[in-house]
Amino acid sequence: MGNPIGGSVDAAPGVRVLVAEASPSLGRSEGSALRAALEPLVRGGFLESVPDLRSCLERCRTSDVDLVVVDEGLGRDAEEIVERLRRSGPPVLVLQRVPADAAALAWFRRGAADCVAADAELAGLRRAAREQLERWRSARRGAPGELAIDWALSPAPADGEPRPDPGEAERERHAQVLQTAKMASIGQLAAGVAHEINNPMGFIHANLFQMSEYVADLRQVWGRVESLQKAVDAGEASAVGLAAGELREAVAEVDLSYVLQDLAKAIRESQEGSERIRHIVQDLRDFSYQDTGERVLSDINQALDSTANIVWPMMKHLVELEKDYAELPPVPCYPMQLKQVFMNLLVNAYQAIEEAVGSSGKLGRVSLSTARYEGGVCIGVADTGVGIPADKLDRIFEPFYTTKKVGSGTGLGLSTSYSIVKRHGGTVSVESTPGRGTRFSIRLPLLGEEIGGAA
Amino acid sequence: MTGTRPVVLLVDDEPRILSALTRALRREGYEILSAETPQEALRLVASRPVDCVLSDQRMPGFTGLQLLERVAAERPQAARMLITGWNEELAPADLERVGVRAVFSKPWDDTELKRGLREALGTAEPG
Repeated sequence: MGNPIGGSVDAAPGVRVLVAEASPSLGRSEGSALRAALEPLVRGGFLESVPDLRSCLERCRTSDVDLVVVDEGLGRDAEEIVERLRRSGPPVLVLQRVPADAAALAWFRRGAADCVAADAELAGLRRAAREQLERWRSARRGAPGELAIDWALSPAPADGEPRPDPGEAERERHAQVLQTAKMASIGQLAAGVAHEINNPMGFIHANLFQMSEYVADLRQVWGRVESLQKAVDAGEASAVGLAAGELREAVAEVDLSYVLQDLAKAIRESQEGSERIRHIVQDLRDFSYQDTGERVLSDINQALDSTANIVWPMMKHLVELEKDYAELPPVPCYPMQLKQVFMNLLVNAYQAIEEAVGSSGKLGRVSLSTARYEGGVCIGVADTGVGIPADKLDRIFEPFYTTKKVGSGTGLGLSTSYSIVKRHGGTVSVESTPGRGTRFSIRLPLLGEEIGGAA
Repeated sequence: MTGTRPVVLLVDDEPRILSALTRALRREGYEILSAETPQEALRLVASRPVDCVLSDQRMPGFTGLQLLERVAAERPQAARMLITGWNEELAPADLERVGVRAVFSKPWDDTELKRGLREALGTAEPG
C-alpha cells in the first residue's frame, strides 16, 4: 500500500513510522529534511509515505505503527487522521505549514500528540518525533529501555550549517505551550477575580456618589459661612445675628458633624478598597510574567501562598482553606511555572469540591501543606471533593484528558503541571478516593537536574 | 408609610458593602439593620419586625436566595431583594418561587436601588 521510502520494511523490533502527506511526497525540500530527521530513528523498522486518510488508517490497522507524522497540507484528511487515532492509535505528530499557537492548540484538542513546524530544523523534527516514540513505547511496554532507537544519535546535522543553538526553537515552542495553558487557567479564574474586584469597586462607586452629596452639603454650609463673614466685615450686628442663625440652621439641616465624620470614614474605606484592587492587579500581573531562562532561588511557601490568594476569591464561598507550611530552604526553580502548577491543583481542588457539595450549603476543605525531606521539599494540595475513580487516575496526566464537564477544563492543567515538575527534576503523585477527596503531592529536589530536555 | 420607620435589613459578607449601602440609604428615612452572615440575618428576622431584606447572593456556605427562602417562610410580608456581583444564572422560576422583587447587580446604581426600595416598601405591609 505505502511506498517504502527509507529504512527497512522489516517489521519488529524496529520503529515504524508513517508519514501522511499530500502528493509529491518527501521529495520536496521540507520532505527531505523530514526524511533525514526520521530515517535514523527507524532502525530496522520502516518509514513509509501514505497519501491519504484511507491508506493511513489501513496501514495502521494492518501493522503496528509507532508514530504517524501528518502533513497539515492534507487538510480534512489530516484532521480525520488525528481524530481517528486519538483513542487508541499511535501518537500523531502534526507538521504545521504555518506554525501558530492557536492552530497548534486546535490540533492538540483534536488529539495530536505534538505539533512541529514543517520547515523546522532537522534536529527539532527529530527531537519531536523521538519524544513521541519514547512516550508511546514506554506507555505500551512499560519501559522505555527496549526501544530500538539509538538515543545517542548525534544531533549534529549533516548539512554543515552553523547552528547557534539548536534547542532554541523548541524552547520557544515549549514556552508558548506553557503560556497558552497558563492563559487558559487564568481564563477559568477571571470570573473569580472579577468578583473580587467588583466588591471593592461596588463600595468605592457607591461611596463616591455619596461623597459628592456630602460635598454639596458642605457647600451649602460654606455659603452660610461666607454670608456670616460678609456681615461681620460690614459690622452690622443685626445682619451678623441673622447670618449666624442661618448658619446654625444649615449645620443642623445637613447634620454637619455626621457628614464630616462619615466623609472621613467613606474616604478611608474607599482607600482600603482601592488598595485591595491594587493588590489583586499586582498578584495577577505577577502571575502573568514569564520566567526568564534561569532558575532562581525562591520561597516555595510564598509562591504557594500568593497563588492561593489569587484563587481564593473564586472558591471562598464553598471552601475552607487550611494551611500548614513548614520552614523551607530556598529552592532553585522557575517560580512562575511552579505557581502555575499550584494554580492548576487549586482550581482542580475547587472544582472537585464544587461537584461534591453543589448547593448543599456545606463547605469543602482544601489543605495546603509544605514539608522538608532530605534533599528537597514536598508540597501537598488535598481536597475533600468528589475524588477520581481508579480507572481514570492513571490517565489524568495525559494532555487533553479531562474528567470535567465540557467547558470547565482544557485537559491541559495536569499534563502541563506534570511536565513543569518533571522539568524541575521533581515528581508528582496522586492519591484519590472517590467520594472522599484527592491529594496531590509534589516533590522538588533542592539540587534538581534539568530533566526533559528543552529547558 | 405610617409613624414608625420601615426597617430594612442588609446582608453581605463584605462589611464595606454594608457600610456603603447604609450610607446610600441614609436620607431615605429607614431604620437600617445589617448582618454579615445569613445566620445573623435569620436571627434578626426572627427577633424583630423587618420590612425588607436586601441580601448579597454569594456568601460562604449559603446563597442569598437560600436565605430569602427562609425569610419568606419566617416573615412572608418582608420584601425580598438580591444584590449580586456574579452574572450567575438566577433561574426566573427560583426568583418567582422565593418571591424576589428585585435583583441588583454590583456595582449598583444608587438611584435605582433607592427607587426599588421605595416601591417595595410603599406596597409591602409592615411586618
